[in-house]
Amino acid sequence: SSHEYKLNFRKSKELCLSYIQDAMLQKQWKRAAEFLTFYVESLEKDFSREHVNPSEMIWRIGTEILCHHSCSSMKEFNSFTEQMKTLAVKRYLKVCLEHAFHLLCNGLTNEAYQNLSLAESWRFGEQTAIQNKEMKLIQAYRGLLDYYSWSKQKNILLKQCQDGFEDFSVEQEMHSCFRKAAMNLKEIIKVPGVWDLFVKCYVDLLEFYGDHNEARQVLNEYAYNSRFPANPNAHVYLYESLKRHGEPKKSLISVLKILHDIVPSHELMMDFNTMLQKSKKRKKRQLGLEVIFAALDYAGWKQNVKAWSCLARQVKQIVTSEKHLDWIKQEWNSRKDWWPAFHFSRYLAKRNWQENENLSYEKALVAGILLGKECKYFKYVSHQGCKTRARRFRVLKKFVNKHNLVYLRISG
Amino acid sequence: GPGEPDGGTGRGPLLISRLISLQAETAFVPRRGGTGESWEPVDAAAVPLLPPNASCWISPLAPQDILYRGVLHGKLQTGKSVATLDFTKQLGHFFVDHPEDAFGSLGRLLHQNFYLGNSKLRVSVCLGVTTLPPTPPLAAASPRLYPFSLQGQARDSTIRMTSLTEEIDRLEARRGCPQQRLTARLRWFSHLCRDWLFEVPLGLLADRVHEELLLQWADLLFDDSPTGGALAWLPPEDRGAHTGRLVYPGGQAMNHLYFQDVVLEELPRVWGSPVQFELNGRIRQVAAARVDGEDFVGVRSDYHCGIWRVPDKTGMAPTPLQVIRTDVPACCLTVSPHLPGELAVCTQSGAVYLWSVEMGLQRLRRDPQTMFFRDHSPWRWSDFTAHPRVLSCADRTGLQCLDARAPERCHFDLFKVGEEASCQQGERVVLPMYLGRAHPSQHLITTQFSVYVLDERLPMVPVLKWAHMMKAPPLFAHVTPGGPGRSHKVLLGASRTQELLLLQYQGKRWGFSDAATCQLAGPPQKLHSIAGCLQHLPTQLPHRHCLLQQRLSSPAAGLAAALQEDGLRESLLVFQLSEVGDIFCQRLTHEAAQPLAPTEAELPPESCASPQPSAAVPSPAAALRYRRWLKALSKGCGEPPHQSCPPTFSQNRLFTRKELETPAGPSALHEQARQRLRQAMREGGRIQHWDPSAPQPPPLPQPLEFVEGLDSLSARLTAAWSGDWCQWWEERSSFNLAQRQRVLRERRRRQKRARGRRSLSASF
Repeated sequence: SSHEYKLNFRKSKELCLSYIQDAMLQKQWKRAAEFLTFYVESLEKDFSREHVNPSEMIWRIGTEILCHHSCSSMKEFNSFTEQMKTLAVKRYLKVCLEHAFHLLCNGLTNEAYQNLSLAESWRFGEQTAIQNKEMKLIQAYRGLLDYYSWSKQKNILLKQCQDGFEDFSVEQEMHSCFRKAAMNLKEIIKVPGVWDLFVKCYVDLLEFYGDHNEARQVLNEYAYNSRFPANPNAHVYLYESLKRHGEPKKSLISVLKILHDIVPSHELMMDFNTMLQKSKKRKKRQLGLEVIFAALDYAGWKQNVKAWSCLARQVKQIVTSEKHLDWIKQEWNSRKDWWPAFHFSRYLAKRNWQENENLSYEKALVAGILLGKECKYFKYVSHQGCKTRARRFRVLKKFVNKHNLVYLRISG
Repeated sequence: GPGEPDGGTGRGPLLISRLISLQAETAFVPRRGGTGESWEPVDAAAVPLLPPNASCWISPLAPQDILYRGVLHGKLQTGKSVATLDFTKQLGHFFVDHPEDAFGSLGRLLHQNFYLGNSKLRVSVCLGVTTLPPTPPLAAASPRLYPFSLQGQARDSTIRMTSLTEEIDRLEARRGCPQQRLTARLRWFSHLCRDWLFEVPLGLLADRVHEELLLQWADLLFDDSPTGGALAWLPPEDRGAHTGRLVYPGGQAMNHLYFQDVVLEELPRVWGSPVQFELNGRIRQVAAARVDGEDFVGVRSDYHCGIWRVPDKTGMAPTPLQVIRTDVPACCLTVSPHLPGELAVCTQSGAVYLWSVEMGLQRLRRDPQTMFFRDHSPWRWSDFTAHPRVLSCADRTGLQCLDARAPERCHFDLFKVGEEASCQQGERVVLPMYLGRAHPSQHLITTQFSVYVLDERLPMVPVLKWAHMMKAPPLFAHVTPGGPGRSHKVLLGASRTQELLLLQYQGKRWGFSDAATCQLAGPPQKLHSIAGCLQHLPTQLPHRHCLLQQRLSSPAAGLAAALQEDGLRESLLVFQLSEVGDIFCQRLTHEAAQPLAPTEAELPPESCASPQPSAAVPSPAAALRYRRWLKALSKGCGEPPHQSCPPTFSQNRLFTRKELETPAGPSALHEQARQRLRQAMREGGRIQHWDPSAPQPPPLPQPLEFVEGLDSLSARLTAAWSGDWCQWWEERSSFNLAQRQRVLRERRRRQKRARGRRSLSASF
């Protein structure tokens, strides 16, 4: 019966697909390709209502095989992709985009550009929301390629300027590239998303032509628009831009403060801390201590000598001046139940000492102040340090002994 | 539909430039593809590491067991995928398997009214006895009818059970007959007994059975209890050493926890005997993490979780530290990689706990509802993040991160099934895992369709996505971090299909701006599954082969891997645990000096498009392992009792003693027979004439003399008997031909004559 036929057909289709998959996962590309030629028959009677239908499957698998097959060439890849474009109208733009990416990855920038332009001019009936998005992406990538040719022209022009002659045709071409790139890039970054690459390029374009206001506005929008996903890079770009243009410390600090709130473990936190330490305001210096403590909470910062020396310096300063011990107390309060096991265990003392003496020195100082001289970490490191007769360890021991009562005050 | 995530949270459309990334000025690097490290399997199939877990043989539940008979067929016809559970059969099983529970005391009470004898129900006349008899013995061998004071009453209130069972048997025999009708007596009986015969109220019992059936069916479709896997590898303290520890469950109910030293040689082998702990329930998950040089092993069973500390020195026994009991089954247990003795526990009631050996349990959340949209699954998961006080907390709809110091206030969404990650319809989180060993802020999230890598610092937008196309959702994952400039190796394992995939990805350990340049390196690779070694085992008898196949293809229950460095040569040993407790391993090697992509010439010639590519042959050492394993299997657990041997009868039941009596000594006849038997065996011939007393074959009955008057059938049979049937046929066909020719000739002659006569008359 027809139902049985359908059932058998579906079964053999699935079996064939599993063979292809099996071959691909064992890197038997030839075998996979042979099976794929059988699988093409499944297009003939496509009863499936699944998310990924056979034609999409063939496109994906075929691309994968052609990327790895030893006998495949760019020409074959192109002709396969052209066929795939006509196989399903709904997927046309997606295939075009992927095709362009493949060309770009193989260094064929011009072909990729042509492909993107062609895709851009494609029209078929009513556009769906997804197709709209894909079209925007295609335009954006074309804009990106325009940006690259712009920057190439720019380099030529700069070199020519250095050599002392000017070529108007290059300059004109550069300007036309700018216009094309700017138009497309501007469009895509209006849509909420993660557009680091596009934003960077667009800002570069704007800054070259001296449109700093527009550049600032773009970066602000990218960082602070709540419709965009929380992206730490957006704040980094804004910070870098402000820094480039010598903006006052205050605005830099306010940008980094927000970055600190989103990602306390960001590597810029070291800069932030340094900046805050230099400030004359007490509140900012307190924030500096908070920032360095928060960064050291993270597993990724555990071995960071710079951060530990930073903390050690600040803690030492506070203890010597005997002012603002409450700052340390405040920070220590939420950490005293787990920092000892996380940072100051005997095992870590041993390992830090073996691997990095500087690190163990800085950590021992912090441990000695926060936990007293009986702390395992401090005891081990100062003992080992004194054995080597290094002067700084003797000084360290003396310092901790002198301020031994601090730990009682901060943990009380 | 029910699988539609409601993605409308006001975030608007989100486009992600995830496909490509920019590195140098204009060099484009594909997000996936490229070349990875080549890890080649050494052996043709997975090799057993341990002797089979002999005592464990749970015959797997098949859909046929609980589905309504014939429903599969019907389902295919209608094209609907609604399964009908065979509730009646299961309830019937319950009555047969647990009659005491079902009918116990009521049966005892009614005993008097059931007559179990074979004879006709007689009414004993016993006038004058008015007292009730003492409590009748329960299993009376010859039930008697206790006389009642009034004989008429006895007759009315007693049922002859034998006839009733006969009726039921007859009913059974007529099963499937469309004309079947219940006899009046049965109808009457069931009608009378319906409400009060059962010990457990029937409605309640039915509810429970149905509930259990639904549960079993759901488990059959997707069982998430082994999520995370029950196998852990504790690597040696210094990287050059060759002895590590494997932690795994075993025993009849998989309730024994073993810590076994394993030496990593060409084929890994066990060293010494394992340290063993007997636990209170089936072990579902074994999780391990190393903190400060000590390994902490968390073990989860349904209602208990425990933690063990394993000292770094080999030879020191692991010590159990603490056990907690839960009212609702626990579904997750992860061990903190940051702080010693800290774990995260989740239960199916939606509660998430931070469990510290020193501080006890701290509940971070309790919410029976799922986080982002409604999903029925009570499964929850929790893992650690880059911050030791922040835990990730997952259900099927996504992941959130909670700060244990203020779980109510401080949390953010890490991953959501929806538009941001361009998820498919019906996609659900299957297993989240913290990738701290590879990158301090990255997480792996698997769904039934894809694998995602998330960065805590850039939540919601995956830095890597790959559609894995596995047939069953990956319940197990393992990451082996690669050093600087190397790729991280991620192993994904599925339970039911035993699939095992190796994928490599690269992402710089440091620097945030590069977080977006996480890329998949090389095509993913399929590893051997346990079931794949079946073809390399010695040939078995068909029914044994079947059993072996069943055993080897039982669902996987865990996954572990060990990296071994030997100069330039690196090996990755992958261990796989099956649900019945067998552990198999395989070795993959990577030559550091070798060029990254092997050229075609180096690859073994590929076979053509055949379903099974020509299989390599296992090494002699592996073959020896297979043989030993098989021997141990057949010796140790034999076969499951109910399937093992065909029913046998003692000879005594078939023959009388006299018949079985053996003669005093071997007679000459016996000797002769034996001799002939031996000779026949030597020659490979047959023994045609068994009766030694008649060495000559009886003379064939002489064929009857060919009688003229025989009909054709008799003639044919006679010819066949005498062996010249062929000749007979020849003759017959030629005879026929001759006869036909003769007849034809005769006819022509007659016609001619007739024509001649006619023409003559016509001329008149």
